[in-house]
Parts: sequence; structure tokens; C-alpha cells
Amino acid sequence: MQPQKTEQFTVPIGPQHPALKEPSSFLISVDGEVVTNAIVRLGYAHRGIEKATESRTYVQNLYLLERICGICSHIHGTAFAMGVERLAGVEVPPRAQAIRLIIAELERIHSHMLWLGVGAHQGGFDALFMFSWRDRETVMDLLESISGNRVNYSANVLGGVKFDLTAAHIGDILKALDYLEERTHHYLKVVTTDASFLQRTRGIGTMTRHQAEVLGAIGPTARASGVLRDVRIEAPYGAYVDHPVTTITDDRGDLEARFAVRIKELFESYRLIREVLDDLPPGDIKTRVKRKIPEGEAAFRVEAPRGELFYFIKSDGTDIPSRVKVRTPTICNMTSVVKLAVGHQLADVPMILAGIDPCFSCNDRMVRVNRNNGSDGWTWEQLRQHGIEYYKQRSQDYDPLVVG
Amino acid sequence: MDILKQIITLIIFPGGLFLFVLGLVYTWINRKLIARLQNRVGPRWFQPLADIAKLLTKEEIVPGEGNAVLFIGLPIVALAGVLTAALYVPIAGLPPAFSFPGDLIAALYLLGLLTLCTGLAGTNPPGRYSLVGVTRTLTQFFSYEAPFLLALIGPAIVTESWQIGEIVASTGGRWLVLTQPVTFIIALVALMGKLEMPPFDAPEAETEIVAGALTEYSGRGLALFYLGRNVELVVGLALIAALYLGGFANPLAFFAKTLALLVLIAFTEVLVTRLRIDQTVGLWWRYGTLLAVIQLVVIVIGRSFFP
Repeated sequence: MQPQKTEQFTVPIGPQHPALKEPSSFLISVDGEVVTNAIVRLGYAHRGIEKATESRTYVQNLYLLERICGICSHIHGTAFAMGVERLAGVEVPPRAQAIRLIIAELERIHSHMLWLGVGAHQGGFDALFMFSWRDRETVMDLLESISGNRVNYSANVLGGVKFDLTAAHIGDILKALDYLEERTHHYLKVVTTDASFLQRTRGIGTMTRHQAEVLGAIGPTARASGVLRDVRIEAPYGAYVDHPVTTITDDRGDLEARFAVRIKELFESYRLIREVLDDLPPGDIKTRVKRKIPEGEAAFRVEAPRGELFYFIKSDGTDIPSRVKVRTPTICNMTSVVKLAVGHQLADVPMILAGIDPCFSCNDRMVRVNRNNGSDGWTWEQLRQHGIEYYKQRSQDYDPLVVG
Repeated sequence: MDILKQIITLIIFPGGLFLFVLGLVYTWINRKLIARLQNRVGPRWFQPLADIAKLLTKEEIVPGEGNAVLFIGLPIVALAGVLTAALYVPIAGLPPAFSFPGDLIAALYLLGLLTLCTGLAGTNPPGRYSLVGVTRTLTQFFSYEAPFLLALIGPAIVTESWQIGEIVASTGGRWLVLTQPVTFIIALVALMGKLEMPPFDAPEAETEIVAGALTEYSGRGLALFYLGRNVELVVGLALIAALYLGGFANPLAFFAKTLALLVLIAFTEVLVTRLRIDQTVGLWWRYGTLLAVIQLVVIVIGRSFFP
């Protein structure tokens, strides 16, 4: 019998699809249930934030950039503020740096707990999803009581932080950490021993150490493959200089390792917060930063819950930055998803995708390359015409449609 | 008078309307239990009814491609199959409304009709999303149907009858679950597979392919499929309870036994992670079918040695 040549069957997921929480497009070719090829298309949630920063002052930008990501908002503010402070040559008081660290670690707890729930939900273990999100409320309440907001805490100002930690806050934090630590032990036990859950995570989406290095994976995703990549250790910033972090790595590189690494990082965050709270430096929480920032360029890296977050700030001496470039961790990890999905079952793709903790809206940037060939980009009319042609090719004719 | 009684049997009690109400109530109990076990509030008592009512009022969009008659007819056939199966099963503690020798097999096939119709519905017209769902639905169908049949044949062999009413009567209140625990568990888990409940909800996993085979269905058709599934939950529970838990002396026993089974199902749904389709097939053919066959062989041998 001749082997039959099968036609490639492609399941398009997105740009709009009920299974996706944010718009992005995945074209997954399958042979039965097995994935033979995966293509990812990003850019459906481009918001033009980088351009918008160029028409706002540094103070205004602080609040705009916090809104790049709803989950890791504080770390965006921190990266920008620290970059600007470096340009301005301002020394931030140690108490402010300690408070920045505490908020950042609380945010990491909140982000990892959220991810644990999402990961479990993608695998179809809704009980773990519901329970981890219930316990996540503890840290959300904590952040609300400290800053007044559940997300977008706006803790940073240029030159320090906005609010101080009172004795009552510290008591609340310590109490909440005890509860969370107990729960985290339970979750670690669940994800490493529950037989039905391990069926969906053990040996799935395995990324070797070499692959992780070649694909440029960062953050917990890379650490789960045994690559020690953590900005808090490679280039400590702020209070991390005095309070070093021990990195958790795992050599297995599969989904189980990613679950284990993220949960173990929670213990590290608990330890770090307790350590910093133990000797919280006294003193001011902010210094004055001049409205106009001296001319210069600064690049700043911080460790967001998902991995390395990169900020480039260019100042031309006014109170408005001339360029801000942001690179969020998701874009670095996205290539690994496409690579790892091939050869797995279609049912594993959502879990492999969730394994890198993706945040599509954060990573969408536009780059225009000037090739000096006289091309001046497209006009609106040309772009519209291209869109019509593009959809005609896909046998969807929107020409007779009258808009408006 | 006789015709009037039969019409009432078919349309109001214990068939038809009564089953709809029972199906919605049992579905609500299931959803509420799962919600409470997951530390959620859960739906209010009329939520399943509201879901069906909402779908019934919605416009039904019949796809241009594919067979329109089949598209509209399949949900009706599916629901009719389940309702017919219910007539041979003791519902609410009463003896089965209709009965003939061999109705156990007929009822089992009628219960399978829902899945077959779901599968057919997904291929008419063939869409990308529904085809993936259909593949999974039918793969799963072929894996649990054999153990489900084998599991329900156990009591039939013991009592030497293929008539549900007679099997229940001749057990005389004995709980067959004590002598055939393996097939009882297989029957219960296979019922969860039939109803595509977690962990066997791969055919309509909301994080992967969302609606599965029923992607193209929107209004009345979807409502009828949902209703069929709700009723099948009650009929399946009643069948298993009747065969394995010693039948029903009165309506109270019916509700107590079926609800106890429902609680068991709810716990399993909460505790277990969704199985991939290859894991489902492996589970049923490697363990389910094998264990059911061994149990049957043991029964047959046991009966020939100790009649």
C-alpha cells in the first residue's frame, strides 16, 4: 500500500478566539492530533505606547508605562524610574529602594500565583486554578492596603516611592506571608505528586539547556531548563545589591520543571521580603528630581516576574524623553513555544504556551527598518488597499461593504 | 383511557416533561457541587433552565453548506433517543414504562445515539474547529462504549435476563456493587465519558477547541443537545443505580441512590485533571475494557462452578 500523502490540516487559533485571553494568532498544522508545524503572529494588540511617551513628561510617562502590563505594572515603573534616576544622577534613599523591592516581590508572588492558576486551567485542573486564585487574593489585598490599588499600584515616583510602610503594614505582610507559605507548600506537593496532573506536565514541552540558550529564553522559563539567567543576580539593582537572591533552577526543562521553579521562587520571595522587612532602613522615602533630565542615554534591566525586562531611555535635555524603548520578556520566550509545540499533541499546545507565562499585549512593538532605498512607508490609503487585497486572496471580499 | 395513559407516560410522567425537569435539576446539583468543592459560589437553581431558555429564544443559524435537514434533525433524533431509552429504565422508583426481553441492549444503544448524533452534527458542514472536536468525540466514543456495554452486561449475566425490569426484580434488593465492584466503577466512569464531563471533556475543552463538534450550533439545536445531555445524566445514573445498587423500592430510594452517585461523579470531576485524548483511549483499552472482561470471565466461571 502506498503511503497516502495527507493534506496539511491547519487549525487557526486567533486573532480572535474564545480560548485566547488576549489577541494573537496561532496557525497550528496538525496530523490527526499531532502538531506538525506552528506559526505565531503577534502584533494584534499594538497600542503605540512607545510613541506616546514622546509627547508626555517623565512624570506622566511613569503612569503610562505602568499600564503596559496589568500584572507586572510595578516593575515597569521601577525600570523606567531607575533609568531616569541614573540619567539625572540622583541617589535614591535606601528606604525607598527597600520598599521598591518589597512591592516588586509581592508583585512576583501575585504574578506567579496567577500563572499557577492559568497553567492548571489550561491543563484542565480547575480545582487548582480556583484555589490558587483564592489565595492570590491575600497578596492582592495586601497590595491594596499598602498602595490603595489592586493593580497599577503607582508605588514609584522619580527619586523614590510614594508611600511609606507603617508598622501595621509590616505586621499584615508578615501574617499574610505565613499563610501563603503554608499554602505554597501544599501547591508544590500537588504539582509534583498529583498523578493525573503529572500526566499532563511531566516530559511535555521539554526544552534542553542548549535549546534554551539558543532560543534566547529568559526568566523562569530559562531557569526551568537549567540556565541561570536572572537580572537580580547578574546585575543587581536597587536593594538587591544588599539582599542577594538565590536562584532556583531545574535541569529537567519540561512543564513540571516550570511549575516547580515558579513555585519554589515564591519561597525565595517570602524569604527576601522577610529579610528586607527585618532591617528596613530608616530615613526619607524620596529625593527631589529636577523636572528637566540632562541629555544622555540610559539602558536599564530589571527582573520582571516573567523574566528580563529591558528599558532604553534617551533624553534630549527637556522634560520629555526623546525615545523610550521597552522589551518585555514574552517576546524572548515566544520562539520557544513555536519550537516546542511541534511533535506534541494539540491538547498540549495551550499548556506549552501558558508555560512561558505569555503576555501578548505587553510585547507588541513595531519596528520600522530604514533601508535607505527611498521607501517612505505606506500611506493610509495604500495600507487600506493592501488590506482589501489581502482578504480578497483569502476569499473574503469586503469591497461591497459600506462602512459608516 | 389506555391511550390517554400512554400519552401521559410519554409526554408528562415519567417520560418527557418530568425528565426535562429532573435533568435540569440534576445538572444544577452537579454544577453547584463542583462549584462548592472548588471554593466558588456556583450557579443559582434556575441557571440550567435559564441557559436552555436563552438558547431556545436565539436565532438558529443553519450553515449554507451541508445538509439543512440533517442539521435540524440531528438534535431532535439525539434527544428522542435519550427520551426513548428512559422509557425502559425505572425512573423515580416506578417500574419501567415499557419493557420487552432484551430492552437492556436497546436502551444502551439509544443512549449512544446522542454521541453519534453529536459526531454527525460536527461533520455537517465540516468546519476546521468542529472536525477536531468530532475526531475526539468519536475516538472517545469508541473507547468507552465497549467497557460501558461490558459493565452493564455483568448484572444481566448474573440474573440471566436481558430485560432491565426483570434484572432489577430478580436482584431483589441485593446490591450487586458488592459482588461486582470493578464493573460498577467502570460503568460510572464510562457514563462520565459519555456525557463528556471532566476529566473526559477533551472533545470540548474550552482552552483548546472550545465548542468541539457543536461549533456550528447556536440556537434551538444547541439547546436540544444540551437538554439531551441533561436527560442522559439522569437516565444513566438511574440505570447504574438500578442494576448495581439494588433497584428502587420507592421514589425516595431513587433520589437517594442517584444523588449519591452524582456526588461521586462531582468529586471525580473536581479531583482529576483533564485527560488528553490518547490518554483516554489508553485508559479505556488498557485498563477499562480489560478489567471489565476479567470481571465478566470471573462471573461466568463462578456461575458454572457455583450455580
